[in-house]
Amino acid sequence: MADLKKLFYPSSIAVVGASRNPKKIGHLILKNLIEYGYKSRIYPVNPAADEVLGLKAYPSVSSIPEPVDVVVVSVPAPKVPEVIEDAGKAGAKFAVIISSGFKEVGNVELEKKVVETARKYGMRVLGPNIFGYVYTPSRINATFGPRDVIPGGVAFITQSGALGIALMGTTIMEGIGVSAIISIGNKADLDDADFLEFFENDPNTNIVLIYLEGITNGRRFVEAASRVTIKKPIVVIKSGRTEAGARAAASHTGSLAGNIAFYETAFKQSGILFAKSVEEAFDWVKALTWNPLPNSDRIVVITNGGGAGVQASDTLADNGLLLQKPPKNLVEEIRKFVPPFASLANPIDLTGMAPTDWYYKAVYAALNDPDVDSIVVLYCHTALTHPVEVADAIMNAVKDSGGLKKPMTVALIGGVEAYEGIKKLTQAKIPAYPTPERAAAAMAAIHRYVKYREYVTKRLSYLGGS
Amino acid sequence: MDSVKEILKKALEEGRRKLLEHEAYAVAEAYRLPVPRYGLVRDPDEAARLSKEIGFPVVLKIVSPDITHKSDVGGVILDIRSEEDAKKAFNKIMENVRRYAPNARIAGVLVQEMVPSDVEVIVGATRDPVFGPLLMFGLGGIFVEVLRDVSFRLAPVTPIDAEEMIREIKAYNVLEGYRGKPPRDIEALKDIIMKTSQLMLENPEIQDIDLNPIMAFERGKGAKVADIRIILKG
Repeated sequence: MADLKKLFYPSSIAVVGASRNPKKIGHLILKNLIEYGYKSRIYPVNPAADEVLGLKAYPSVSSIPEPVDVVVVSVPAPKVPEVIEDAGKAGAKFAVIISSGFKEVGNVELEKKVVETARKYGMRVLGPNIFGYVYTPSRINATFGPRDVIPGGVAFITQSGALGIALMGTTIMEGIGVSAIISIGNKADLDDADFLEFFENDPNTNIVLIYLEGITNGRRFVEAASRVTIKKPIVVIKSGRTEAGARAAASHTGSLAGNIAFYETAFKQSGILFAKSVEEAFDWVKALTWNPLPNSDRIVVITNGGGAGVQASDTLADNGLLLQKPPKNLVEEIRKFVPPFASLANPIDLTGMAPTDWYYKAVYAALNDPDVDSIVVLYCHTALTHPVEVADAIMNAVKDSGGLKKPMTVALIGGVEAYEGIKKLTQAKIPAYPTPERAAAAMAAIHRYVKYREYVTKRLSYLGGS
Repeated sequence: MDSVKEILKKALEEGRRKLLEHEAYAVAEAYRLPVPRYGLVRDPDEAARLSKEIGFPVVLKIVSPDITHKSDVGGVILDIRSEEDAKKAFNKIMENVRRYAPNARIAGVLVQEMVPSDVEVIVGATRDPVFGPLLMFGLGGIFVEVLRDVSFRLAPVTPIDAEEMIREIKAYNVLEGYRGKPPRDIEALKDIIMKTSQLMLENPEIQDIDLNPIMAFERGKGAKVADIRIILKG
């Protein structure tokens, strides 16, 4: 097992290729590192400059007056081996190789040479062909992506570079706080399983999101992912989901088991939540990172419109979650203020005339009812109420209940005003969506995780015990 | 498991990627998979004697590394019910093979207990360089061929996995019993899946296994492999 402590809690970081040109990647990384607020020592390495961004520059890693923990390398690929040799000699522990031009373009030998050189000095390599890494607890943003990443509980590992950087931006826009962002690139040395092992025990991470293209050691991945699942959920987006199954094979089984079948099976057996799209993955991540887990499957849907309620209950049913009759106490509580024609089966329909106050009361009652395990709140924008006020009512109900002690997802359905309400809820870390289906599917992901965790726990205890 | 290693080694030394049927049964038997009683014979008298020992009805099949589709060359005779018929069947098979596959090398004729027809299921396994062995389960015939109604798990398959694999297929109700048919012996099927997983884990020389069909009898009566195919890594 790789010990990644010094990668995430380094005493010093050097940036090789820290150019004075503000358009160069090395410059951008150094800038992010300084401006995001990394508190320990930062050393720009640039033989052609005395100073970069106000910091004293060094001609090489070995000329830095102390052994550095992390060396971020952003120089052209052919120059990387000599940088690694020099950094290794100087006692650096991790090389984060941003440069591209290795295996991804066929330069297998160059990549091998880099890894062998690093190994010789006991140095571990992240990359090459990456956009860097982030670890918010140490205020490290060693990427050339967006600067102001929001600290939080999501660890995001991405094999895709461009999409990864873009999604970094998405986390900021969606208000999703991250513990780490790891651009994993060619995985010449450190791979997904190494990082999963770190995040398994990282107190700053409560969910792992992976954008996966492929893995090289499936058994190890399954083992590492299974151990993580027992403690925290993993959501995976896998590229190449629809690859045709038929392979040329001498057996029936061989021809039926396409490449994706292996991935799907590996995900299932390690309790990974397999998202079909980026949107779905982020929906689930929001729901999982901000919510506690439910005790059981007694879900209550609260709505002000029948249509939205049906869309949500169908989505839940698609996920194997059938709504049961709501608890009697809750119905009695809500009966006090809604009109007599309101349908208080599940979904609980507050009717189209529901003012914001009813949302407050209904959500508050559901949050405090011990026989409700989770809540999906739906709101269709009507002329009677403003979505932002409904958002406030929901937030107040949560606040007055002493915070979320059971999972809740919200859909505010409507136009621009609804979007404002969603933003407000999101800022308060209440997962909110623009459609009933997405709110319901995100809730289903939470319940699915609980089941997966149970399955993986049983499975591992069997394997451990036999 | 020395006998298994011996069989695999011999096949590889002889450049055969597919085990002969009696070899495949021997490998399965070593892992206590429920295979029919069987034996390899080389003359009609031996065929008669072994048939009687196994108990009628029996099936006779040609065993040759050069013949893939045994039925196409008249190399399979089913439902043999007497010693006399066993002798005749042996001679008929040899005659057919000499005519339709004159150059085929012949290892002998397999005499095998005829497994009574019942609900057919398939258990298979294939090996992947990244993930290792993958096990497959499905109902036989149209369910697997046309509907591809199968479930997968990676080895090692635990009892929890095996149970889920079986429940996961869409046609699971067929196994639970329908139209008055009693439920099938699910425990026996779980056992077959787990033993096949074990067999794959312990023998990296094996690329693929098909146990197809397996007859799934009613609960309490077990299941039996009616045909087997083991392919070695090339």
